[in-house]
Amino acid sequence: MVEAATGPVADPARGARPIDRIGLAMRASHLLALLLLAGCLVFALVAWRTGDVFYLRLATEALIFAGLALSVDILLGYTGLLSLGQALYFGLGAYMSAVLLRSGWSFAGVMAAVLLGATVVSFLGGLIVSRVRGVYFALITFGMAQVAAKAVYNTRELGASDGLIGVPIVKIALGFTTVSSDSPIGFFLFVLGFMVLLYLALSYLLDTPFGRILIAIRSNERRVPFLGYQPQRARLCAYVAAGIVAALSGALYPMLRGFVSPELMSFTTSGNAVITVVTGGAGTLVGALYGSVILTALRSVIGSWTSHHLIVIGLIFMAVVIFFPRGLIGVIRARLESWLVRRRTR
Amino acid sequence: MTPPILEVSGLGIAFGGLRAVDDLSFRAERNAVTTIIGPNGAGKSTVFNLISGALSPRAGKVTFDGRDCTGAPPHRMRTLGLGRSFQITSLFPDLTVFENLRLASEVLEPRSRWLLPVSRSPIALARADALLSRFALTGRADELAGALSHGEQRRLEVAMAIAAEPKLLLLDEPTQGMSHGDTEETAELIRSLAADLSVLLIEHDIGLVMTISDHVVVMHQGRKLAEGAPAAVRADPAVQAAYFGHA
Ligand SMILES: Nc1ncnc2c1ncn2[C@@H]1O[C@H](COP(=O)(O)OP(=O)(O)OP(=O)(O)O)[C@@H](O)[C@H]1O
Ligand SMILES: [Mg+2]
Repeated sequence: MVEAATGPVADPARGARPIDRIGLAMRASHLLALLLLAGCLVFALVAWRTGDVFYLRLATEALIFAGLALSVDILLGYTGLLSLGQALYFGLGAYMSAVLLRSGWSFAGVMAAVLLGATVVSFLGGLIVSRVRGVYFALITFGMAQVAAKAVYNTRELGASDGLIGVPIVKIALGFTTVSSDSPIGFFLFVLGFMVLLYLALSYLLDTPFGRILIAIRSNERRVPFLGYQPQRARLCAYVAAGIVAALSGALYPMLRGFVSPELMSFTTSGNAVITVVTGGAGTLVGALYGSVILTALRSVIGSWTSHHLIVIGLIFMAVVIFFPRGLIGVIRARLESWLVRRRTR
Repeated sequence: MTPPILEVSGLGIAFGGLRAVDDLSFRAERNAVTTIIGPNGAGKSTVFNLISGALSPRAGKVTFDGRDCTGAPPHRMRTLGLGRSFQITSLFPDLTVFENLRLASEVLEPRSRWLLPVSRSPIALARADALLSRFALTGRADELAGALSHGEQRRLEVAMAIAAEPKLLLLDEPTQGMSHGDTEETAELIRSLAADLSVLLIEHDIGLVMTISDHVVVMHQGRKLAEGAPAAVRADPAVQAAYFGHA
């Protein structure tokens, strides 16, 4: 039954080949992501036919915050690090974007600058936080974001407590067409495409040996250095990747809303992203996307019934943590994964 | 003449007031099985921690493969060719057996493949496959490591230590808690390993120590009590008093 050790990679089809459980789990995520994508497209079609603006804008915002949640999931779900300050990078991207757009920069220029800025800042931040783990990591990320938010709050050039308003409409040249950020349907589809790309890039990254090292760190960090890897460096890389994802998502925010405020960097924003990931399912990527859509929808629906919507959302969150500790999508993905495993072993 | 694979001299570390390892010197020859024995708390595992980089010595020197490696961190020691297993099993419990082995074999790949999909790491995949069959874990490949029996986990622990083809393998009580049959097999395995690499072993089973060791170092309260060929060590009255007397 045992295959010879030579060249077993060539034919992964039959017999004693071990199953790549992590790879299959990722495939389960892809199926769910496709479903979400289809749902979004149907929603877009309906909204477009009915001439809706409000829900398209809201859904676009949900997708933008899904990017922030993705960034939290790299750290929490894969590397096992709870960041309570991921809004720092989301806010960094948002403010950079607002400032540069107000000075007349193009979309591509803004995104390139945000990419660069986020890389530098998250690398510097990462040098500090990759030294610590667990509750210390949570506290330091929290502290750094608080300091940054306070600094922005007190900087008149950045609008202080009012934030920056009057961010101009931006035209996004895509080659085959140009999307204007004030077109509800156009910008929604653009952000959807952007999030699909982010999701694909991250799922690629996490399926590499590097990604597996992150998972190993979450599982048993102490063994990792004895296998020849440097957990601290891997954590730094994960932190930088997460910072970039958060900042690129944040950069889209002022294009949607036309303003930025210190709220975007606040603990509320960081905390919401963590709640989003846990509700959807940490360590699944796709859970972060669903989580953001679900929570945004809940907030909007419940918010229209009662002004105490935070209480309701808090209770829902508690129920999810108690009854579905793997998250709403985490549960479904686990089912899907075992189905894929069974199909594979038959 | 090639230097010994490992030489430690004057090695020392203390925890609070306790001198866990004190002025310890010994060598491990190439393609040989060198065994450290000693009563509980003698400092054996601490020696492994000092050699593998888990701890930095307060005194003394570690020379590995002709190179001064005193205080080098674990990942560097691994890169230089040191593999180790742990007395207390340390696996990735929520990854499959295969994935545990693949991770441990990944350092065999050129680093340029670390950012390609895992399926593009043919060396690591082949190595993990080979280890599965060598350690009779093929049937358990898709099981989560945390779901294995104690004996299987011990086998996986050893398999992971040799996955990256080390020059020197440190095995900390590999047979602890194994069934009799598994212990015999592990002994044979260690013997066969010594054909291609060098082994430094910590072992409590004296029968096993006597049959598979080329050289035995006896520790007691952090210090070296005796060393030599297995039979000579066993006959040493000081060793009998301090060690076999207790056991
Ligand atoms: N990190 C540590 N901090 C404090 N004390 C330690 C530490 N590691 C080991 N010790 C102490 O050092 C002494 C030697 O421990 P060590 O684990 O090396 O013994 P050992 O010979 O491996 O024993 P055993 O046969 O029980 O495994 C013990 O008294 C132990 O309590
Ligand atoms: Mg020990």
